[in-house]
Amino acid sequence: MSPGTTVLGQAARWLLLVWMCVVIWAAFFVVHPAEGFKGQASRIVFFHVPTAWVATLAFLVSCVASVLYLTRRRKVDDIRASVSAALGLAFAIMATVTGSIFAKIEWNSFWNWDPRETSITILLLMYAAYFALRGSIADPELRGTLSAAYAILAFIAVPFLVFVVPRIYWSLHPDVIGQTRSGGGGFDAAHTLVLLASLAGFTGIFAWIFSVECRLEHLLRRRQEELLR
Amino acid sequence: MLRAHAIFSLMRSRISVRFSGLAKHFDMRLVFRDVSGEARPGEVLLITGPNGSGKSTLLALLAGLSRPSRGTVLHLASSRPDGSEIPRSDWRNHIGVVSPAMAVYDELSGLENLRFFARVRGLPDIETRCRAALEQVGLDPTRGTLVRGFSTGMTQRLKIAQAMLHEPPLMLLDEPGSNLDPEGRQWLERWVQDLLATGRTLILATNDPREMEWGSCRVALPG
Amino acid sequence: MLRFLAEARAVLVKDLLGELRTRVAVSTLGLFAITILVAVAYAVGPFRISAEDRPLVLATLLWIVLLFAALAGLDRSFVKEEEARTASLLRLAARPLAVWAGKLVLNLVLTYLLMALIVPLFCVLMAYRVTSVPKLVLLLGIGGYALAVVTTMVAAMISRAMTRGALFSVLALPLLLPLLIFLIQGTAAVAGGDVRALIPAVRALISLGGAMTVASALLFPAVWE
Repeated sequence: MSPGTTVLGQAARWLLLVWMCVVIWAAFFVVHPAEGFKGQASRIVFFHVPTAWVATLAFLVSCVASVLYLTRRRKVDDIRASVSAALGLAFAIMATVTGSIFAKIEWNSFWNWDPRETSITILLLMYAAYFALRGSIADPELRGTLSAAYAILAFIAVPFLVFVVPRIYWSLHPDVIGQTRSGGGGFDAAHTLVLLASLAGFTGIFAWIFSVECRLEHLLRRRQEELLR
Repeated sequence: MLRAHAIFSLMRSRISVRFSGLAKHFDMRLVFRDVSGEARPGEVLLITGPNGSGKSTLLALLAGLSRPSRGTVLHLASSRPDGSEIPRSDWRNHIGVVSPAMAVYDELSGLENLRFFARVRGLPDIETRCRAALEQVGLDPTRGTLVRGFSTGMTQRLKIAQAMLHEPPLMLLDEPGSNLDPEGRQWLERWVQDLLATGRTLILATNDPREMEWGSCRVALPG
Repeated sequence: MLRFLAEARAVLVKDLLGELRTRVAVSTLGLFAITILVAVAYAVGPFRISAEDRPLVLATLLWIVLLFAALAGLDRSFVKEEEARTASLLRLAARPLAVWAGKLVLNLVLTYLLMALIVPLFCVLMAYRVTSVPKLVLLLGIGGYALAVVTTMVAAMISRAMTRGALFSVLALPLLLPLLIFLIQGTAAVAGGDVRALIPAVRALISLGGAMTVASALLFPAVWE
């Protein structure tokens, strides 16, 4: 029985819907715009940060599935790795677009090549490369192996991109994490609460899409194998 | 030290290859499915089938050079007390392969090729071993001609020399007689009989009726 | 261990011997690098960039030249094996890590040769003044190693794909860009820019290079087989 049809699965999806509605409402109508930001621009943080977080989470899932595939050699792990990478790419694009909109409002320029923006570009390139690799190998077993290896290598570069590069060099990027921890810089407890709630909601959305996509991919592959008999 | 011992004992042991339910497909193309068989020491297992039926692909699966889409391949060694299977990563120690799809280095000479393969396998007595192997297949060790200047028959002989360098108990041959002149074919047949007499296991993929007479066990690919 | 080194050495010697006789990789790398260098030197020239921008801009140009040349030639070690169909026999004869080590050293040799040719030429043609040559050599040494490690691994991966040429650049670039960022900042620091940027750049390079080495050593057997 798939998660979509169990009672628990259905309840979880309803909860997610309600949760996200509350988060969106709170983001737009409950909290006040943060200080130090232009106009209503700070509200985008409630959507931008979670998408960036999910993009990184998706890459972690892809990497773990890749490691499992290389050790266990089970097709389900290859499916999970490729589905998660595709989701990671989608959320990374969303993060880039929302970040770009914010940049236009705050600093009047869509793209500044500050280290965090550069890092997300490289991340996008890595996952585009992952799919280019997958697309160029006809042997399914070899495809799984090589793309798993690439996902792992790419993931190793991620900590450097996300943490080391921005720390070394001056950045335009508001240090949201630092601000919410210290409670200064315009972000108060209400903001933090909504942000955390949004993070949880987006993670739930990711988990749900991930599960559906994996099942779909599994069915597609099974169909393909049956056609070949 | 331990590895040399392991290689040596494997070379003296007898290997069986057991495969069942093997299938291989590439995206939208099925090469073969449901292929099973067994190759035993002192015997020849023939793999036959029309061109494009997947003989070379099957050989690659049996050699561990690619992974099956379905099914299993086991290499079993008689030297192991429980007759248990040899892990895939060790297969290359006991296999010799001759195939048109697998080339030797054409920018090196015959002797340089063999020296390389001997060194990289960690074999002892490299110089004597390589020269002896070349002489055994009828190639002159003193000629420094690069392989790119060889005739197809000479290249085939060099590939055979390369395959037997480490005296493997399991030989996989893919159309070994191709490109050989009648004298070469006679030599080949004698060599195969010698291999079988020493208890080696042979898997032979071929369409040549003469070669098909060398064994009775057969896996026929439908194609 | 000794046996492993002997096997890796056999792979390296075989490749060097082949390279000596055919000179494909060396000429590809060398010609490509010189061509880009000449184009850059002609278009930009030694005096068109203001003094305060020189350290960073010229560092960027230098690394672009080196990177493009590397992407043109460093996949040869594996692609050649697949194209000539010698890869299968190599797989059967050699231990995966011995192949990796041998090919890595080959790429390292090619990378250092490339740097030895291009860096002095660049400094002369572009009037690039380096404040400390030993520091530059250190940076090039570490950066060159990291470059070789990543390109060796990616080359092994793409050699078995269908669209090799373009795929090498597509796959290698995202992995090399973090490297590139650190190298450019480090080079700029050595050429008269902010020297404080050198130590963190070197540290980052060492850790990235180290991480990639460990990952490659663990992943290569799966990629190669």
